[in-house]
Amino acid sequence: MAQYEGDATQFEEDDHRAAFIFNRKADGDSAGQSTRPAKRRKVARPDARKPQQTSAVEPVFPPLFNGGESPAAARLRKELFETAWPILETRIKQVLREANRNTLDEVTSFLHQAAEAETGKITAGFIITGPSIASQDLLFEQLAERLCTASQPRFVRLRASEAPNLKVALKKIIQDATARAPDAGDDLNAEVSQGGRKFLNYDLEALHVFLQQQRQRQRQRQSRRVVVAFQDSEAFEGALLTDLITLFHSWRDRIQFDVLFGIATSVELFEARLLKSTARQLYGAQFDVVQANSVLESVIKSAVAGTHATLRIGPSLLQNLVERQHDQVAGIQVFISSLKYAYMCHFYANPLSVLLAGDGRMDQRLVQPEHIEAVRTLESFKAQVEAAVQAGQLNHAQSLIEDDEYLVAQILQQGQRRREDLLHLLRALHLVTSTGLATASFVELYILALSNGIDIDQSSGTIPLEDAVKRLNPGEFLALIGRLSDAIQNGSPELGLDGWEPDAEEFVGSLTDIQDEVEGLLERSKSNGTTLKSKYSAQSKVLRTTVVSQKVQLSQDTATLTEEDKAFTNAIDTLLGLLSQNLHCDPIANLFLHEVWVFDWKSPYRDVFVPRPGATFARALSRPHDYLACACCAKADGGLAPTLPTTAILYHLYFEAGALVNVADLWSAYYALVGEETDVGLDERSALVFFYRGLAELRMMGFVKQSRKKADHVAKLNARRAARNPAFDAKLSQMALKLAPLVQLTTGAVHPDFPRTLLAFWLLTDDQLDGLAHFYHQRTPCHWTEQYPCPVTWPPGLSLEEKRRKLGKFIGLRGCDTPIGALVAGEVVQQLQRSEEQIREEAERRARVQGNGSGDDVEEVRRKMGWYY
Amino acid sequence: MARRKAAVEASVPRTSRKRDLPIDPYELPDENETPRRRRRLDATGATDEGTNGENVADHEDADPFPKPSPARRPGRPPKSTAAGPPNGQATTPSARKQRPPNETPIKLNGIDTPSKRNIADRSARKKSARAIIDRVIGGAVSDDEVEEGDIAREIYESSEDEEEEADERGRLDGDQEPTTPSKTPGRKRRVAARKRSPTPPRDLPAHEQYFYQNRPGLAKTSNNTLSSLSLLTHDEYFSIFRKLDNPHAADVEFLQSLHAESFPQWAFELSQGFTTCLYGYGSKRRLLHNFATYLSSQNPTHTIVIINGYVRTLTTRDILSTLTAALPSFSSPGTGGSSSGAGSNPSNTLQSLLSSLSTTTPQTTVTVLINSLDAPPLRKPATQTLLSQLASHPQIRLACTADTPDFPLLWDAGLRAAFNFLFHDCTTFVPFAPCELEVVDEVHELLGRKTRRVGGKEGVAFVLRSLPENARALFRLLVGEVLAAMEEGQQGEEVAVEYRMVYNKAVEEFICSSEMAFRTLLKEFHDHQIITSHKDSLGTELLSLPFRKEELESILEELMS
Repeated sequence: MAQYEGDATQFEEDDHRAAFIFNRKADGDSAGQSTRPAKRRKVARPDARKPQQTSAVEPVFPPLFNGGESPAAARLRKELFETAWPILETRIKQVLREANRNTLDEVTSFLHQAAEAETGKITAGFIITGPSIASQDLLFEQLAERLCTASQPRFVRLRASEAPNLKVALKKIIQDATARAPDAGDDLNAEVSQGGRKFLNYDLEALHVFLQQQRQRQRQRQSRRVVVAFQDSEAFEGALLTDLITLFHSWRDRIQFDVLFGIATSVELFEARLLKSTARQLYGAQFDVVQANSVLESVIKSAVAGTHATLRIGPSLLQNLVERQHDQVAGIQVFISSLKYAYMCHFYANPLSVLLAGDGRMDQRLVQPEHIEAVRTLESFKAQVEAAVQAGQLNHAQSLIEDDEYLVAQILQQGQRRREDLLHLLRALHLVTSTGLATASFVELYILALSNGIDIDQSSGTIPLEDAVKRLNPGEFLALIGRLSDAIQNGSPELGLDGWEPDAEEFVGSLTDIQDEVEGLLERSKSNGTTLKSKYSAQSKVLRTTVVSQKVQLSQDTATLTEEDKAFTNAIDTLLGLLSQNLHCDPIANLFLHEVWVFDWKSPYRDVFVPRPGATFARALSRPHDYLACACCAKADGGLAPTLPTTAILYHLYFEAGALVNVADLWSAYYALVGEETDVGLDERSALVFFYRGLAELRMMGFVKQSRKKADHVAKLNARRAARNPAFDAKLSQMALKLAPLVQLTTGAVHPDFPRTLLAFWLLTDDQLDGLAHFYHQRTPCHWTEQYPCPVTWPPGLSLEEKRRKLGKFIGLRGCDTPIGALVAGEVVQQLQRSEEQIREEAERRARVQGNGSGDDVEEVRRKMGWYY
Repeated sequence: MARRKAAVEASVPRTSRKRDLPIDPYELPDENETPRRRRRLDATGATDEGTNGENVADHEDADPFPKPSPARRPGRPPKSTAAGPPNGQATTPSARKQRPPNETPIKLNGIDTPSKRNIADRSARKKSARAIIDRVIGGAVSDDEVEEGDIAREIYESSEDEEEEADERGRLDGDQEPTTPSKTPGRKRRVAARKRSPTPPRDLPAHEQYFYQNRPGLAKTSNNTLSSLSLLTHDEYFSIFRKLDNPHAADVEFLQSLHAESFPQWAFELSQGFTTCLYGYGSKRRLLHNFATYLSSQNPTHTIVIINGYVRTLTTRDILSTLTAALPSFSSPGTGGSSSGAGSNPSNTLQSLLSSLSTTTPQTTVTVLINSLDAPPLRKPATQTLLSQLASHPQIRLACTADTPDFPLLWDAGLRAAFNFLFHDCTTFVPFAPCELEVVDEVHELLGRKTRRVGGKEGVAFVLRSLPENARALFRLLVGEVLAAMEEGQQGEEVAVEYRMVYNKAVEEFICSSEMAFRTLLKEFHDHQIITSHKDSLGTELLSLPFRKEELESILEELMS
């Protein structure tokens, strides 16, 4: 408090006002100087003046290198960011628009057709948007744009939160439909109260009158139509929807309503919520939106992998982002934001990012000694020097380390190198995908290529294509070559790759050579009447069957390869050689100065987008020392100490208590810690003041609430939230059941992994189960095995759940017995359901199978029961 | 401390359990059970429970004539008298005799029908009781039997435990609301009741701790109250508070300065269309204020609006009107809009505000800083939607702080995407009081002491003095009724009396003649907040007094005198 004496009055006043405009003059002079740390002031001053002259709005990047960075470099970094990101942003927007375009077209044309069809029903479009409500916004926005321009209907978007009941929904519809008119601004009033009548604001008559007037004004247009879009129709109450639709239907002769439903699940589920009679009033069609996965892939292709991306998102970060998209139902917006944030982080916090500037803007003078020093600490610099030394280029290595000029020149060259490398990587990747042989998706391939490079060798490579290529038959082989040369010619617009035929003349030339050769071979073998095959595709051994005196004889023949076949084999080998040579790429981590253009840090991303406030609060309150770094609380180390902040002490005590906390006891415990007899030595009233404050803060943060069960008691709130559901409560208490440990017969020891609770039992892993079985002599039978109360058999090859069941039986859990009953019952039911014919067939089949000697009934049953056994 | 508390917890509930024991409706009057045996049984049971060490228990079991230790059972005499006459049931407290055993249908519905298990348990209990008694009488115990005895005792104790709990719950249910069968089925609680232990185990793994914290069943707490402690008043709180100094002030200050180093970063994030959300323990009011100062020092022409979410009177209208005021160019069309009726609806106002913001040239950007985005006034979904619409506008930059750990629950995916949040851990350790938090009120509310009303007994006396005679008579009647209800009812329950009943009595006592007059009198009390009324689930209107029993008694005395 004392520090703020000077401007305390200002604060006091402001703090109790609900909302106010910040008065900069009052604070700018006094508070600005006294409260801001010295360091900030020093760096902020020189820059603060400049932007006022140039661009007065945007903040500047603070200089890095402890403030040693030149303002020019900092500005350049900012400029770089400002040029790099918008390019991507527009491309992403394009991609998203493209993705929705088909849907939009379909919906629009459907509405048109339906308007002409005069079905007497309400036209309804069901748009399956998928579970993410975040991406629905964009779709409906585009829809609104599209429809409004197309035929001038009124477009109203409804969200469940905005329309809790019929009245509000109608109000909203009327308001939006009337307000959207571009020139309706002040006419609205006149219309609503037209003819001396004032309509209620939820009376559709008002809308009707309004539309009529509109029509009179612009005679040529037929604008009797109103499109109502329910964005999250699952969230609407079924009754409300029914009411609305019925109402719309009855107004059909005056106002033509069309409805659109955004549906996250399926039309069937949605329809089930409507009354049958209501559903009959709808004339609908279903539209699918491009699924989130494919949108994500195309966004990644264009914005992350494409040539337009200045900054490369590193493989591990990208992997992380993609996983998050899959695991959590996060819209594509989140991904784009994360991407943008990565750019922001890189250019804001990495001083070396300035080296990304193009040749025009980057020059010698911008490179400061700090940059050079920073470059010399990079991993890739060290690797480069070491490589140079190993290659015997000692002069090069020495100059890199000692000669600043030389290093700067090298650095400036890297820009070109980087572009070449990346281009090569992308081309290779494009070729790989266009072969159609890789099983992984593009995103996976891209991540793999970034982290491990591309190598198509079968045994050691990252993307093993070798076998797939070898197995091709001539037709496929030719098609592959066709695809490859196609890819080279056309490039990939998605990736921003142009065709690169001129750059790859040699490769294309050899491809056409091979193509010609194989075509020739194909011709020749056709005329010979043989099929062309390679040594890889043809089985070298052929089973030949001959019938000799009513007995089948099997004999093996080695197929002989014709000359053509051998030539074809050669062609395949040549292609493989070409491919592995042309597709080979190094992982980006091997490239010199990759730190300048690769961003691969997970930590800021995770904390910033997926916060864990619960853990943060828990840490602050349970270990305040982590934040305060004070001398007094250092020895507490997560425990209880009287010097901790009051709330932290109460938090500790709170966790020792049960679901109900007696405040009197809490107070006495607290007072015993900080009271007069202790080191802290607070008198009772002061301690009570602190206690009050702590308790009030606990309440404010939602840890406790008032309880009426007993006097002066409070109930824990946070911990029991999940347990309020009775079913969950029951499950929790079941899972919390303690299991009595079982000892090993020989030593009397308990296995460390032995489940202490039922939950732990369900969490046992495969290894742990095996370990437990071994420990308790169940895996390998010996004379101890049978000494346990419920011995089990432990044959190899059990599934995880089988093992778990067996262990459950072993330690005596209920419901873990061998499911004989279920098996038998299942069998009986099956038998009963079969017709006689089937039974006979089955018997015959069994007889046949038994001849072959695999009459294992258990096996049979197991197969039938699927997972259960 | 833990030990102390454990001791308290351990001893207190035990005695209460013993008191409950004879009032068990399912207690089978064992024909063989002579009073003498019965007493012994109780005694052994009590000593067993009182001592945790098994050796001691065994030792006492072995004693053929166990003497109850006087220290442990201070208030037992009723028990021995109860056991005195042969028909022991006759002297059990009348309260439970009045209640027929089938009065609680909830129990039959809620808990599963008295299943085989229950019956089996009961007979097991009977058997084990007999086993214990036999052994006590028999004297000598072999080693094997020690173990057997333990098991027997465990069965005895556990079923006793269950019955006591079921009984307690049954009573609770019966008293509270016989019409709500929604209580969690009792069985789960019972099952778990066995493994309850009073001392919190240390060093549990995370999930075990969760289970420990969430273990079902009633928590056992001591009956101590804060009655001996005179609670703080506002004046006292503030006068002491001013004198105290925070030992961590310097560290907190340092932490603030660390956070302040991120100001340029946050400013950059805001400029890129993100919403910065600062969370973590401690008030971030001053931090945000400093941030505002920083922003305005960077660019003096910038408009900054600060919204204090913790101010209880904050409405969306305040936010919008402040925003409107912050945009000078907007003021003219804005007022026009509001006069035409559009201003009545916040979302309309917002729409016109945003559209005028995007059309005005030159482009102005407004930075909105919100303190405590998760404070009660802003928690409504509609408000959050409105704020998210603000945040998604390109010319409005939004930074906010959140004070509770559960704040992410405020937003669904759509809102969150609209906000475009970036979260930063800004734990400050600055106390929330006095701005965000009314400490004294908050704590008193938490403890069930109503705060926002006339100051206690003196206040009531003052109010009543200014009221006519029949108002005073009515209040006296009310106090009397509530006190009577408190006598009957349970400790800690909110006591309320039926409106209709009070009215009838008031008519009987000629306090008022019509319901109108009665209502008028009550209204007077309501205005002074000396009574509260609410409706229960059946729609019966209930009146209650926001005072504690002692206070009520003294008020009554004063009124009578």
